[in-house]
Amino acid sequence: MTARAHRRRNALTGYALLAPSLFGLICFLLFPVLVVLWLSFQQWDLISPARFVGLANYESVLSDPIFGNSLLVTLAFVLIVIPIQTGLGLLAASLLTRGLPGSLVLRTIYVLPWICAPLALGVVWKWIFAPTGGALDAILGTRIEWLTDPNLALPAVCAVVIWTNVGYVTLFFMAGLLNIPAHILEAAKLDGAGSVAMFWRIKLPLLRPTMFFVLVTSLISAFQIFDQVYALTGGGPEYRTDLVASHIYSEAFQLFDLGRAAVMAVVLLAILVTVTVAQQLYFRRRTTYDLSS
Amino acid sequence: MTSAPEPVRRALRAIAIYALLLVAAVVTLGPFLLSAMTAFKTPAQFAQQSSLAPPSPWTLDNFMNILTGPAEFGHAIGVTVLVAVFLVVFQLLFSILAAYAFARVDFPGRDALFWVYLSTLMVPAVVIVIPLYLMMTQLGLRDTFWGLVLPFAFGSPYAIFLLREYFRGIPQDLIDAARLDGANTLDILVEVVVPLSRPIIATLILITAVSQWNNFMWPLVITSGNNWRTVTVATASLQSQFNGNWTLVMAATTLALVPLVALFLVFQKQIVQSIAITGFK
Amino acid sequence: MAKRSTILAITVSAAIVVVGGVAAGFGIAGSAGGTKETVTVRLWDDQVAKAYATSFATFEKANPNITVKTTVVPWADYFTKLRTDIAGNSVDDIFWVNAGNFIDYANNGNLVDVTKALGANASKAWSPSVVKQYTTNGSLWGVPQLADPGIGVFYNADLLKQAGIDPKTISTLHWDPTGKNDTLLPVLQKLTKDANGNTADSPNFDPTKIVQYGYNAANDLNALYINYLGSNGAALQKGDQFVFDSPKGIQAFQYLVDLINKYHVSPSAADTNTDGSFSLNQFTQGKMALFQSGSYNLANIKQGAAFSWGVAGMPAGPAGAISVTNGVIAAANAHTKHPDAVNKVLAWLGSAQGSAAIGATGSASPAVSQAQQVYLNYWKTQNADVSPLYSVLKNGTVQPPQGANWMNAQNAFGPIFEEIFLGRTPVAAGLKQAQDAANAAIK
Repeated sequence: MTARAHRRRNALTGYALLAPSLFGLICFLLFPVLVVLWLSFQQWDLISPARFVGLANYESVLSDPIFGNSLLVTLAFVLIVIPIQTGLGLLAASLLTRGLPGSLVLRTIYVLPWICAPLALGVVWKWIFAPTGGALDAILGTRIEWLTDPNLALPAVCAVVIWTNVGYVTLFFMAGLLNIPAHILEAAKLDGAGSVAMFWRIKLPLLRPTMFFVLVTSLISAFQIFDQVYALTGGGPEYRTDLVASHIYSEAFQLFDLGRAAVMAVVLLAILVTVTVAQQLYFRRRTTYDLSS
Repeated sequence: MTSAPEPVRRALRAIAIYALLLVAAVVTLGPFLLSAMTAFKTPAQFAQQSSLAPPSPWTLDNFMNILTGPAEFGHAIGVTVLVAVFLVVFQLLFSILAAYAFARVDFPGRDALFWVYLSTLMVPAVVIVIPLYLMMTQLGLRDTFWGLVLPFAFGSPYAIFLLREYFRGIPQDLIDAARLDGANTLDILVEVVVPLSRPIIATLILITAVSQWNNFMWPLVITSGNNWRTVTVATASLQSQFNGNWTLVMAATTLALVPLVALFLVFQKQIVQSIAITGFK
Repeated sequence: MAKRSTILAITVSAAIVVVGGVAAGFGIAGSAGGTKETVTVRLWDDQVAKAYATSFATFEKANPNITVKTTVVPWADYFTKLRTDIAGNSVDDIFWVNAGNFIDYANNGNLVDVTKALGANASKAWSPSVVKQYTTNGSLWGVPQLADPGIGVFYNADLLKQAGIDPKTISTLHWDPTGKNDTLLPVLQKLTKDANGNTADSPNFDPTKIVQYGYNAANDLNALYINYLGSNGAALQKGDQFVFDSPKGIQAFQYLVDLINKYHVSPSAADTNTDGSFSLNQFTQGKMALFQSGSYNLANIKQGAAFSWGVAGMPAGPAGAISVTNGVIAAANAHTKHPDAVNKVLAWLGSAQGSAAIGATGSASPAVSQAQQVYLNYWKTQNADVSPLYSVLKNGTVQPPQGANWMNAQNAFGPIFEEIFLGRTPVAAGLKQAQDAANAAIK
């Protein structure tokens, strides 16, 4: 077989193997992105014919205080959720890596909410928060309107998301802590470092890659939160829990302004591309962990 | 502190740590237990007593109601299982083929294409749900099985990425040896690569099944009525129809959560590992 | 060596066929069987769905080659689902629509013109007010199904007795935004109790621990605020324009909001905004004394209430007791695959026989004139006097919702109304904002 024939054969094999997934990728990922771009220049309510409106949708969305609010709410959500879940995850991980018996069982328990359907959990929490007949109402013995009070609704939604995520974050910090070479810790101990100093001076800096990974994935997922908001608040009250993914969905499938929804989708995509590219530039290699221990 | 002897201090500290960890475990499990408990109560008891009271009498009526009543929850479970099985098979099959090409076949444009695959990971679901709805509508696939599964059936860039990493770790010698025996590419995949990649494939089976069971936004948009709605959509719809009838609604969430909890109990080790390996579900 | 991969290829192809087969089975289930045609009907009312099941069983006997299947879509999602389904070409053959939502679809050619499909004479058999409500430019856009009479007040006789209130006096209550001539509020206060047994007019009353509500003032267009607007000489809309932001409109809303947030005789909007059946459930559980609603909740109350109850007239305002009256039609999908079968079902729904089941089970007040008597007879046999729901209409009525883009308008004013009822947005400012937004949306 000549080198050329060999190369041709390889190319053929390669593309044959790739064909199905490439078909899927083009039809169901790349083409839809183009459709969104096209849609962002149309005015369409799904039933009357679509109409080209140039940049009108962009003007309307970018000057819309409700969409601006939605981005701010998402930012506030990120600023509440990420520090708390990271802190709790770190705390849990450092308590679980002390070799106390039962640590693995507890770790498993904490991860449970993470694999469960966010929509179903959202509905469960909707009941827990219900001011009449809800569980929190019975536990606290006082009536608090968690999901309809504008000052409590966002914290309540954040609490549900944190509750879901802490186990997942803990898992990564545990792996990170267990990966720290024993000799480094021994050396620090010999130098007389207490456990607090050890945590802040030695362990935390060594956890930086883990920390970075956890922060970036949490950040990206914050822009995608939909199920919990759908189940808990629908974005209210006063748009206080109107996270951006949920806002785009309502604009498209409840208000039926497809053009404006498409513009918002473009904005969201731009934000995520920026975040991801920034992450890539800062941190080129993706870390994976072996938790088989 | 200095006065207490070292072993006592250590024991006290361990107790404090356990107390903290147990509180966290209670907070984690509480919602599951409380909601399941509610599902076994009669509506009358729920209306009269504290929502923390244990069921008395225990009743299966709520479950019977949603499974056999007009909500057709049983049907929704059937649809969801069908979708999950279909996608586990096909998504994985096509992902393995693509991953092998990226890992082991040298063809022009490979690296650029791989980069394109990876970059699609940035596209959030809500962005493509709108055009996909329009496309499926044009194809007449709204509220059909194919409408539900087609967008995910041709492989997942994420699975391809993970499989490719794994395949690259398989020694080239094994592949060369098989080729000398006259095996073609498909043979090599089936005889050598897949058997050696069992752990990652098992991980992906779990992840795909769980994420399809949990999927909500796409089924919500693409289905209509009872024919093709999945468990999550049926749960959301029950919640909006029987708002306030929490015993019924909690029966629905219990049915939506139980398979996952069971799966978790059986495969907890593998699931914990796969989350760690893959970074998400 | 090549065998295993061949086997794999065969297995995969077989799997495709099997899964495809099962999938098809799931989808076709129910519609299979020779030349049989399936007509699907969508509605939001559980009670009427049960009546339809009886009615269609009779229809299927007479038309053995047509199967009729009904689907209930919850009210909260009904009109958003309808839009995606109509656009997605996956809507049912026949579906209910209300006055606010039919015009958009009629204008876009999504609905069958019933005047053409069933003939111009067909409409003579139906409630004239509903026919008028759903006719534009000489075309009627569906077969009238429900003709809700007026709004009334359901009372829990046991709770009234406990409070020493004679049920007969309920029909004579009147409210007054100035407070001078208000007999409603004192009664509601007597009927509202906290966990310690204090009533709402007692200084020791604890509004955070209410165990019995007097009334169901809430952000509910059909049962509550449109009637309060009418009874104060205001209105929700005049033609397509929203006009609720008037001095009298503000008074009406303020009165309702005060019942909730100032006097605490009604559940908090935190409960009722997101749960449209909260008050109904409280009433049927015996935790609410007076429940203002329409004929559409009669069957629910009969089924759910374990106490003796009755129907009284709606409280009168300064302009009298002015209620809304409203109809619902069954519209047909203009792009249905089996127009002939659909026309047959439409004709059946519009016949006295076809609509009789709605009346016979008391599930709702039918719009087919001949079936209405069946309905009244049913409630007579149940010893429930529903005449207050009808007699209120003699006072005149307030205009029901109408106009193209109604859904957009509702999306615009809805969130603001929620805030008003929660007591967080002052009524006057909120109504102004809501009206501007609604009028901008309805154009």
